[in-house]
Amino acid sequence: MHINLKEEVKQNNFAKFGIVLLLLMLVIALFAPLLAPYQPNSQTPFAFEPPSSNHWLGTNHVGKDILSQLIYGARTSLLVGFSAALLATILSAIIGTSAALIAGLYDKIIMRIVDAFIIIPAIVIIILVAAYVKPSLWVLILLLSLLGWQGGARIIRAQALSLKEMGHISAAQSFGASNVYLTFRHILPDLAPILSVEFIYGIRRAIFMEAGLAFLGIADPTTVSWGMMMREALDFCYLDVWQWWLLPPGIALSLTILSVTFIGHTLEGALDPRLESEAIA
Amino acid sequence: MFSIRNLALYLIAMLIILALNFLLPRMMPGDPLMAIYGEEALVQMTPELKAELVERFALDQPWWQQFAAYLSTLFTGDLGYSYYYNAPVLEVILGRLPWTLLLVGTALIISTLLGIVLGIESGWRRSSQRDKSLLTGLMALSGFPDFFVGILLLIGFGITLGIFPLSGAITPYSGFTGAALALDILHHLFLPLTALTLCHIGGSYLLTRNTMVTVLKKPYMLVARAKGLSEFVMRYRHAGRNALLPVITRAGIQLGRMVTGVLFIEIVFAYPGLGHLVYEALLARDYPVLQGVLLIVAFSVLIADFLVDVSYSKLDPRIRYAH
Amino acid sequence: MLKLENLKVSYAREEILNGIDLEVKDGESLAIIGESGAGKTTLALSLMRLVNGNVKGKIFFNGLELLSLSEEAMRGLRGNQIALAPQNANNTLNPVYTILDQVAEPVLEHQSKNRREAKEQASGLLSDLGIPKSRFSAYPHQLSGGEQQRVLIAMALANQPKLLILDEPVSSLDAPARAEVIELLKAISQDRSLIVMTHDISTAAKLADNIAIIYSGRIVELGLMGEVLSRPRHPYTRGLIRSYPDMSTGKDLQGIKGVMNRSVSGCPFHPRCTQAIEICREKIPPLMLIQGRYIACHRGGIIPLLSTKNLTKHFGSLLAVDSVNITIEGAETLALVGESGSGKTTLAKLIMGLAKPTEGEVYLEDSRVNNRGKDFYHQVQMIFQNPGESLSHRLSVLELVREPLDIQEIGTKEERNSKARQVLREVELPETEAFLSKYPHQLSGGEMQRVAIARALVLDPRLLIADEPTAFLDSSLQAKILKLLLNLQEQRGLSLLFITHNIAVARKISDRIAVMKDGRIVEQGPAKSIITAPVHAYARKLSQAASSLSFEVKEP
Repeated sequence: MHINLKEEVKQNNFAKFGIVLLLLMLVIALFAPLLAPYQPNSQTPFAFEPPSSNHWLGTNHVGKDILSQLIYGARTSLLVGFSAALLATILSAIIGTSAALIAGLYDKIIMRIVDAFIIIPAIVIIILVAAYVKPSLWVLILLLSLLGWQGGARIIRAQALSLKEMGHISAAQSFGASNVYLTFRHILPDLAPILSVEFIYGIRRAIFMEAGLAFLGIADPTTVSWGMMMREALDFCYLDVWQWWLLPPGIALSLTILSVTFIGHTLEGALDPRLESEAIA
Repeated sequence: MFSIRNLALYLIAMLIILALNFLLPRMMPGDPLMAIYGEEALVQMTPELKAELVERFALDQPWWQQFAAYLSTLFTGDLGYSYYYNAPVLEVILGRLPWTLLLVGTALIISTLLGIVLGIESGWRRSSQRDKSLLTGLMALSGFPDFFVGILLLIGFGITLGIFPLSGAITPYSGFTGAALALDILHHLFLPLTALTLCHIGGSYLLTRNTMVTVLKKPYMLVARAKGLSEFVMRYRHAGRNALLPVITRAGIQLGRMVTGVLFIEIVFAYPGLGHLVYEALLARDYPVLQGVLLIVAFSVLIADFLVDVSYSKLDPRIRYAH
Repeated sequence: MLKLENLKVSYAREEILNGIDLEVKDGESLAIIGESGAGKTTLALSLMRLVNGNVKGKIFFNGLELLSLSEEAMRGLRGNQIALAPQNANNTLNPVYTILDQVAEPVLEHQSKNRREAKEQASGLLSDLGIPKSRFSAYPHQLSGGEQQRVLIAMALANQPKLLILDEPVSSLDAPARAEVIELLKAISQDRSLIVMTHDISTAAKLADNIAIIYSGRIVELGLMGEVLSRPRHPYTRGLIRSYPDMSTGKDLQGIKGVMNRSVSGCPFHPRCTQAIEICREKIPPLMLIQGRYIACHRGGIIPLLSTKNLTKHFGSLLAVDSVNITIEGAETLALVGESGSGKTTLAKLIMGLAKPTEGEVYLEDSRVNNRGKDFYHQVQMIFQNPGESLSHRLSVLELVREPLDIQEIGTKEERNSKARQVLREVELPETEAFLSKYPHQLSGGEMQRVAIARALVLDPRLLIADEPTAFLDSSLQAKILKLLLNLQEQRGLSLLFITHNIAVARKISDRIAVMKDGRIVEQGPAKSIITAPVHAYARKLSQAASSLSFEVKEP
């Protein structure tokens, strides 16, 4: 399947918007130490300061600079988002392809487990685990990826199954190719488009979850996160301070999620010729 | 037929949750009783009670016996005792359950219906002005996490404009009854309901819209036009009805997402449902309550999914009357 | 009551219908025949204004010009006065509603009846079409293909439309269902006008009075069904009928060379036409009334290639050929059947100019032939009974085949050689050096006859006269030669005057047969008629005496 991705993107304003935004966020995240005026966790004696030339977004209830927190928050979101999504995609690719190729009893069992995982609300399990195991950043990433692969596995298995029927797979099999060879040489390359869509939507899910968990107070309290900022700010929502404390992380979070959504939507449209071009001038 | 296979599925899912619930506390280092009940609770227990609990949960027995003990306590409806709330866990949960049901149930129905209708309207004429605006709007909306939408509404209408209350499901100690009570409930319900609904319209909307594309290409749409039917009839009776089916199938997943959402919304609006209960239990390290709620929530979702599965077959005549 | 004027429909850059003119009167039925891709479905849809493309021209329905109506007004007509019963495919019926509901729907929409009355009417319609009452609340997927098709027809009939359009109404049905539905359609066509789109000629013949042939977006022939089918006047129509497997024809199936191509200038059929001339490449022929038939052809339809008028030959007192009038058309086979001594060979010689007629004339494409020069022999060639005699034993195969070119001094030596090779290929003979240098006595009977045919072809003639070409060959070789001749006809548009005493052979190869006895043509007409229903006594005798497959076994 040769999709002209460049063409799709060029015509599509959604995608352009999404890519630009995401890149912006990435830059901010990468260069956080350079961009942030203060250490995000360093407290100052000046709490609840409104925005000033010293602190562009003011300070929070313990005097930490909100702008710096905002900038470092980008790091957390994107790091968790990308890593969890990457792991989840890899997992779903492995499970999906192996189920399709090996078939038989293995396939049946795996699919029951996948379906079971799909039905269980992930948040339930995460909260449960998090209540007992105080998750650090990496444990969180692991957790998110372990609970994020199931949807993708279904789709990938379906795709792999139909690819399996194609001539070039049978041909390779007749030459004695092993399943591993088939996976890497024949199936995965053709799966690349679907995997990318899964990856993008995985990022979206993971960012969502990370923010949500931070909001709940489950995540690592030492890591700066947009969700955590909003949680802290919420306690003081009856004060004016919400304008520069509560809103910025919320907006930043929404914009990030939006940009990923736009990119994902465009990718999906490019993949599925039935949906045709979403040329929204 | 299909039920047996699917039933097995739900049973496996339940088993996984139960296993998790069972294993997690027991895998923690230290005294399993402390892991199950939490530090503060333990402090309050008498040694006799502790001994009794150890026996009930067979904590000094091999694993499989513990699991059997665990399952049997569950079947008797004993979800444990909450020392924080000073009441059996089940009771605490049942006290909060109705509010969450009200919130989630209404939100699910409204968001699905709205999503379907908007999806049909959008999908009917793709790339029209209406479609473009709806698509842009709803996609933008989907970017906002549940709690942020809730926060915005809270600040906007609750704090700034002061039209709606900031917390709770009813005005405490008001003594309202009848119509006044109903009104009060609605008043408190409005903002959280709006927040939850808005966040979840997108799902059904997008799916309906995309399905419409496939449906509109089918031959029976041309035939409908050839019969001289009005646009409204074609759009809803023919296209819409067929586009409905995948959305219903996905309703189960929608419910799962909504459960996640209601947790955050209840926290933002201090709405006394199960979600808020989880939050409180987390803060108080009240493990029995936490486990109990999560178990109940998970099971409810599974049951709801099962019901959706069953009802889907009624909706699609091709499945209902398969050859 | 329906009139199309210069209807043009195009999608994006492709023109599907390129100027259609049609008329259907009240109560008349018209079948529109064409290959797939010709535009039948587009035509059906555009009559209801259901096409998405660019539509130009005029459609008059009972005085209303449909293309200028508002969508609302058009909607009022659809399913009401004009109805379409589409071809049944997967998902032509909405899978989530019962068939009763779907048939009642147009009634509810266009008539002021309530739900119950509409359902009653729908029940009546379904019953009329043979659907049992027990199936009324069935869903489409529970019905067989034939039943689904009936439901589609019932839906179209719901409001007693004045014009019913059927798109391939029976092609997805098996034979018994097909026959039933055709009977039903014949009954309902009594009260209304009918337009049937199909690629199947026999269905069309049973359902309609008139027939129009559509090719690549244009109507190429239009006329009464019986007339068009027995005597098609457009080369495409003839080709279609010839390629149609049918119990009554004897002639083997022939295709039409080439495939339909839309991006063609001038007449859309000209690349596949065996009688195309310069103008056919440049201008689109209009549909005109020629001798009672509408034809779109610059040449006025199939051209008469060669005709004789009162051709007579006396040998002293013996009347060998007596006032013979025959016509041979382009790309057609006329079989001349008669016993030995009936004058067949003499007639052939007269046509070829190898003997002079006592009376009468020969015309080649409407111009009288007086002296036969190179031009004539360029167009008409002959092969004889005995190839052993007609091939000079002095010349090699290559020289034999090249001889006509040498005589007429056409082209260079290399060109002549390569042309010779080409025709040898056409007659399926090897081109090897070894073969080319063989002499006739080294060839088998079949090979010799093929060389003779190749030699006759090398001048690219339009008419080949074959005088008992298989008389000296056994049956299997005979079959091969016959097949070869038919192939050449299909590819080159070669006309054949096939002379034989064997009416069974004639049946296999001819479009028309002329029966000759004692120098006179006693009967001539379409092969089908002569074989199955000969009029003249002699013709009947020949037919009965002919070899048949049911070998009568001698009584013990």
